[in-house]
Amino acid sequence: MVRGFGWAAAFPDEVWEHVFSFLAADADRNAVALVCRAWHRIERRSRRRVFVGNCYAVAPAAAVRRFPEVRAAAIKGKPHFADFNLVPTDWGGGAEAWVEAMAEGWPHLEELRLKRMVVSDDCLELIARSFKNFGVLSLVSCDGFSTAGLAAIAANCRNLRELDLHENEVEDNCLNWISHFPESFTSLVSLNIACLEGDVNTSVLECLISRCPNLKTLRLNHAMPLEKLVSLLQRAPQLVDVGTSKFSADHHPELFSKLESTFAGFKHLKSLSGIWEAGPTYLPAIYSVCESLTSLNLCYATIQSPELLKFVSRCKNLQRLWVMDLIEDNGLIAVAASCKLLQELRVFPSDPYGVAPPISLTEHGLVAISAGCLMLHSVLYFCRQMTNAALLTIANNRPNLTCFRLCIIEPHTPDYISQEPLDAGFSAIVESCKDLRRLSLSGLLTDRVFKSIGASANRLEMLSVAFAGDSDAGLHYILSGCKNLRKLEIRDCPFGDKALLDNASKLETMRSLWMSSCSVTLGACRQLALKMPRLNVEVIDERRGRPLESWPDDFPVEKLYIYRTVAGPRSDTPPCVWTV
Amino acid sequence: MELELGLALPGGDLIAELGLASEKSTSMCRKRGFDDMFCRATSPPLFVQKDGDDDDGEDDDSRFNHLQELNLGSRVLVGWPPVRVSRRKSEEGGKRRVNCVKVNMEGVAIGRKVDLSLHDSYQALFLTLSQMFPKKQHDGEESDAAYYKVTYEDEDGDWMLVGDVPWEAFSQSVKRLKILN
Repeated sequence: MVRGFGWAAAFPDEVWEHVFSFLAADADRNAVALVCRAWHRIERRSRRRVFVGNCYAVAPAAAVRRFPEVRAAAIKGKPHFADFNLVPTDWGGGAEAWVEAMAEGWPHLEELRLKRMVVSDDCLELIARSFKNFGVLSLVSCDGFSTAGLAAIAANCRNLRELDLHENEVEDNCLNWISHFPESFTSLVSLNIACLEGDVNTSVLECLISRCPNLKTLRLNHAMPLEKLVSLLQRAPQLVDVGTSKFSADHHPELFSKLESTFAGFKHLKSLSGIWEAGPTYLPAIYSVCESLTSLNLCYATIQSPELLKFVSRCKNLQRLWVMDLIEDNGLIAVAASCKLLQELRVFPSDPYGVAPPISLTEHGLVAISAGCLMLHSVLYFCRQMTNAALLTIANNRPNLTCFRLCIIEPHTPDYISQEPLDAGFSAIVESCKDLRRLSLSGLLTDRVFKSIGASANRLEMLSVAFAGDSDAGLHYILSGCKNLRKLEIRDCPFGDKALLDNASKLETMRSLWMSSCSVTLGACRQLALKMPRLNVEVIDERRGRPLESWPDDFPVEKLYIYRTVAGPRSDTPPCVWTV
Repeated sequence: MELELGLALPGGDLIAELGLASEKSTSMCRKRGFDDMFCRATSPPLFVQKDGDDDDGEDDDSRFNHLQELNLGSRVLVGWPPVRVSRRKSEEGGKRRVNCVKVNMEGVAIGRKVDLSLHDSYQALFLTLSQMFPKKQHDGEESDAAYYKVTYEDEDGDWMLVGDVPWEAFSQSVKRLKILN
């Protein structure tokens, strides 16, 4: 046995590289890099995929320098609560710094995935020009670009395989951007334009689809009329994943049968989405695909329960179901009976602001699903009432839950039968579901639930808390427990300075902490920043006025975003953000 | 301690409760107008017409106004419930689009509001109207939905008789309703 770490030299670098190539997880590669200098060198030179969970955690140039052979990069920007308009629009998350560094250091980049970042048309143009073998562009929840930027991508990325635009805010200023794909372009495998608002030229799209034989995913946007959709889909019977456009029109028997035969022609269809504004008229035309579907997204379909029930209960092989609460308890009971392979359920509110009469979707639906779907591990559920008993039942039925996000729409809602807080129910969830990685709380909750979470939720990585808790103790329980916590986001809770300062070092083990409308003062932020130089403590205050330095220590902080970083305070903070 | 909810910036109430800070920052924190509006109990969907004929609802904030007015006790909070809302056009396609129009009956001071998105036909609408404005029985004439003469103002400002165009077209172009005696 060679002493010390000399054994690393016993094999040539290529051998180690080959060994490391079997390590898929970043965490494993990171661990390998810490073993010795030789492994550090070999690992960094051979890493092909990089994931940056917070674009400000590391300087782009540093990341590019350390891993020179990266082919695929994924970067995330704004905090999650930006999805709900809690983060100022000018907060940051601009992609330029990263794209410029990558254009310089990673000319062989093939895949780029950005989430919650501000991407300009200039960025898109730079991407289009800089990477000769560029194949995959995925933009999720981004904004700042227009269809002119997409035209640049279409025109220049000769080997593009995937263009995935998911829930972005895209300005429509180039109506014919699709026609910028050259005639010689045939490599498309996946196209998702569901978030675009404008019309897309159907005949150009038809030509594109016809010349791309490998096309597997096609998700269209709302604007296309049903007749055009049908003639488009007829050209691609090999599709595996389809997102339709508007699914309503006046009844025409001819259109109905065309739609029917088109969908009957899909021999490999596994995933269906879109179906905007579907009515009972045309939905039966596509019953033929139900049996083969593994993924169904009906959260844009305002179909009422009877039709919805008829459709979904035919989907015997469904693994993922996203649906509106219009499905009601009855619908979910039917799903529990029919969809035995269900793994993920998301139920969205059709009327989040409560202006319409209430829907008959209660805790019963979720309990039924938890009982009938043995493989269920991921839940997102919006409802208006809940009981501890129901949560206990769910916890006992499904100890295999990994993601449990419950949103009871009215804040502070107690168990509607006992009028007690829902502490017992959520405690049961974290105690029973040992592999729980993500949890969102709602309803009336005291500090007790946080004690349970801190003690039991050992695998928990992300926790979302709103309108809960009585005191600092709540926050203290979480930060002093939850060994694997990475992201914590809190709004409207009476959590303050003491818990934060007492657990300062915990914050460096996490990716980020968001707190808004809590009880944190500026003084605590200053102390925290002083104590923890590798944290960026960002105070966000949109009222502006005097600069941060002149405010007293007892000044209440409206919004707070704390994240670990090796890049120091960022240089692109807008007027409403101060790095303390 | 109950956490006060509202659109007022959070500092105000908490500072008062925790006994911190000066009068100055408290006043800086408070958005009085909104606070007063949302901290009151909200009213049921019956509205006194203060100024008969003006068109106050139909601007960019019309949806927000509806939220305020049709608020049945739960307050409107920023970013709650946590559903993604497009900053550009909220509720584009798919999601139920609340479509409320004012309804006045000739000779009746107090107007009402009806949400057309909850109705899918003229029949349904007339039923709702007959419940909102029940006909007083006189001389043994039966009250039924069919007797109403309902007119509507369309997007061009013209007053038309309800029922002539297909329901879809009507519900998209109607601005308000007037029931004639």
